[in-house]
Amino acid sequence: MKTSLKNKIICILLAVVLFGLSGFAILRPKGEYSASERRLLAQLPPVSVKTLLSGTFMSEFEEYTLDQFPLRENWRTLKALANKYFYNKSENNGIYELNGYFADGQYPLDEESMAYAVKVFNSVYDRYFAEGEYNVYFSLIPDKNYFMQEAADQLCIDYDRYKEIVKTELSRFDYIEIFDTLQLDSYYKTDTHWRQEKIQPTATRILSAMNAENAVLQSYEIKELDVPFYGVYYGQAALPVASETIFYADADRFANVKVYDHENRKEIAVYDFAKADGKDPYEFFLSGPLSLVTIENPNAKTERELFLFRDSFGSSIAPYFIDQYAKVTLIDIRYLASSMVGNFVKFTEGSDVLFLYSTMILNASNALK
Amino acid sequence: MLFSSIPFLYYFLPCVLLLYALAPKKLKNFVLMLTSLVFYGWGEPKYVLLMAATIGIGYVSGLIIEKFVDTKPKLAKTALLITVLIDLGFLGYFKYANFFVENFVALTGFDIKLLNIALPIGISFYTFQILSYSVDVYRKDVPAQKNPINLAAYITMFPQLIAGPIVRYADIAEQLVNRTHSFEKTALGIRRFIVGLSKKVLLANILGEVCDAFKASDDKSVLFFWLYAVCYMLHVYFDFSGYSDMAIGLGSMFGFRFMENFNYPYISASVTEFWRRWHISLGTWFRDYVYIPLGGNRCSKARHCFNIFVVWMLTGFWHGADWPFIVWGIYFAILLMIEKFFLLKHLKKLKVLNHIYVLLFVLFSFVIFNAADMDEAVQYLGGLFGIGGYSFVSDSFFWYLREFAVVIVVGLVGATPFVKNACLKLHEKEKTAKVLNVLEPIVLVALLALVTAYLVDGSYNPFLYFRF
Repeated sequence: MKTSLKNKIICILLAVVLFGLSGFAILRPKGEYSASERRLLAQLPPVSVKTLLSGTFMSEFEEYTLDQFPLRENWRTLKALANKYFYNKSENNGIYELNGYFADGQYPLDEESMAYAVKVFNSVYDRYFAEGEYNVYFSLIPDKNYFMQEAADQLCIDYDRYKEIVKTELSRFDYIEIFDTLQLDSYYKTDTHWRQEKIQPTATRILSAMNAENAVLQSYEIKELDVPFYGVYYGQAALPVASETIFYADADRFANVKVYDHENRKEIAVYDFAKADGKDPYEFFLSGPLSLVTIENPNAKTERELFLFRDSFGSSIAPYFIDQYAKVTLIDIRYLASSMVGNFVKFTEGSDVLFLYSTMILNASNALK
Repeated sequence: MLFSSIPFLYYFLPCVLLLYALAPKKLKNFVLMLTSLVFYGWGEPKYVLLMAATIGIGYVSGLIIEKFVDTKPKLAKTALLITVLIDLGFLGYFKYANFFVENFVALTGFDIKLLNIALPIGISFYTFQILSYSVDVYRKDVPAQKNPINLAAYITMFPQLIAGPIVRYADIAEQLVNRTHSFEKTALGIRRFIVGLSKKVLLANILGEVCDAFKASDDKSVLFFWLYAVCYMLHVYFDFSGYSDMAIGLGSMFGFRFMENFNYPYISASVTEFWRRWHISLGTWFRDYVYIPLGGNRCSKARHCFNIFVVWMLTGFWHGADWPFIVWGIYFAILLMIEKFFLLKHLKKLKVLNHIYVLLFVLFSFVIFNAADMDEAVQYLGGLFGIGGYSFVSDSFFWYLREFAVVIVVGLVGATPFVKNACLKLHEKEKTAKVLNVLEPIVLVALLALVTAYLVDGSYNPFLYFRF
């Protein structure tokens, strides 16, 4: 090829790419929602003298052009593939993979965040459980990194340090060890959460530690949810990955259970099939992130009550506690300030109180109130 | 607006190219000026007026200087002086006032509030351009520009407005009026622009991740300090030279030929040579407008040393209003004096050690350059030699080395003329030249696609609740 022809081809190619993508970006119908990020996409901001002079139009326009760029997800996949195969990087956007499992590195352990979390938990204890007879427990849920980091040659979080802090700083809580009841396949491949059908040993360990009578779990029918599940890491990793299936532990006796969402003041079900079709199918378990939920079981083995301070992992393990407790109260102090909990919950003396938190929450604890 | 952004690449640039192509020759500079003002106003709407004032003053003073330089030289000199004072006054106020107040407060303990003035983007570059114009007119090196649109187009020209190179008016005065456009020039510009864009997005930004991670890390070790220093050295080179490439490329698309700003500085055999290859437009600006007027080297040794000291202290200060930049400049002043009076003749006899010497001392300089303050500079320099109780290696060092090994190797190779020379060699033979000609458009489009992918991914912003 002659140089002059090459120059013409370069000019034409660039014109096609620039003007083509530009025209496509301007003319294409605009998206409203990003499923991979589970958020609304930016729209064309309004133009006014005020927004122009303050520069807000410009910054919002930049967000808009990025959010609405044609074939956005494909570009993101191209970048992920370049990172993986050209730069030989093990992670993309902080997400790494091991045998099809994806995790967010989370390194290092944030001591300040841990200190804040411990402070919040101790203040909850002081406020509600320092006086009176309560059996207060704390259990730490390892995130997937615990099972992946070393094998994937990633920087390893010191999980012993997590436990050491919890045991030392929350010495009034009885610590329940559950790390050894879990393994990598206890978690979804593309999501942070554990799989409900795989955590029966964990639930048994917790119930045994809390001296629940007959801690052996009753039988459940493991059912398949007919919804393709792409976890939060699917979007972040941006790699082509197959969907997963959510399984859930069901039982006819759940029909007699009364589940109440105090935040929205309505009865809900143990499993919310409407949420399964929503933006995050994991919200299928107890309708997802709700600040205060009670589960009452008239046929429970005991009359005892359990107060479960929890994060989103609690939604899928709580159904295993239903048979053992007449009433389980799930409290999420990310959405209900801990100082306000007493206004809505009456703590009955003699009850079990379990703080069940993922290490991920403790490492980014500013959400706790 | 950054060149390495989606709004620039796929909204602003296509519009400008279209308008520019459609505009008749007489209006091309007007289109350039207008679009450059939009470009500037996009990031700094309130400072468009400041730039317009600077241009207006420069334009009027240029006319006055030219008119009276022979008949009333004092008046011409006064006009030049006023222009210089006003331009440097703006620069001093917006860029350095906070620094002076802060240091005055630190020295005296007076309770004076900081001014907290936002720095107008590109003020360091366009101030130097308008100064060079006024001085060149005074020196009669160039005639004053009669057409204000042409002068405004020169000052505001968006390709070089915010990150250089510092284009001298004398270099493009003729091109402002008479320039040609061709497929060859445009293709050259496209190639240069995409290479620069790739340097910025595919190398500098990624290397910058290591630097940011190092600074935030609690797992620093001696080798991690070295890894950081090497990555920052490569990062700053690809970032800055990438911007210069983009500017030169865009200039070429609009028919201009801007001066080169970088010429593989890391292959230099002396620090003196390094500064002939690094940020060339700034180095030559200071040489022509500060060093030579001060007397250059045609004076006593002491005065010569003083001239070098002043020029390099100002060079450092130009880069930023903070002590690490000033110390960085003085550091080079000392190195250059040592070379000039003693070392240079010995360095010329060496073959490898001279390159290692340059790389090491430039590496130390960039550790100072990138420090948040002098405490950090001292800490990081010490860290390179194990001072500060750091372990020799750490897990983080190994992880970042492994994770970024490819980009570091690509960066190391890319910082040498190896690829350029290989391409030139291949172009010498007809067959391989044909293959290269076929490959070049494909590689350019592939690079642009990769850059686009990295930029689009930068917008990824998951709703964080779902992490838990």
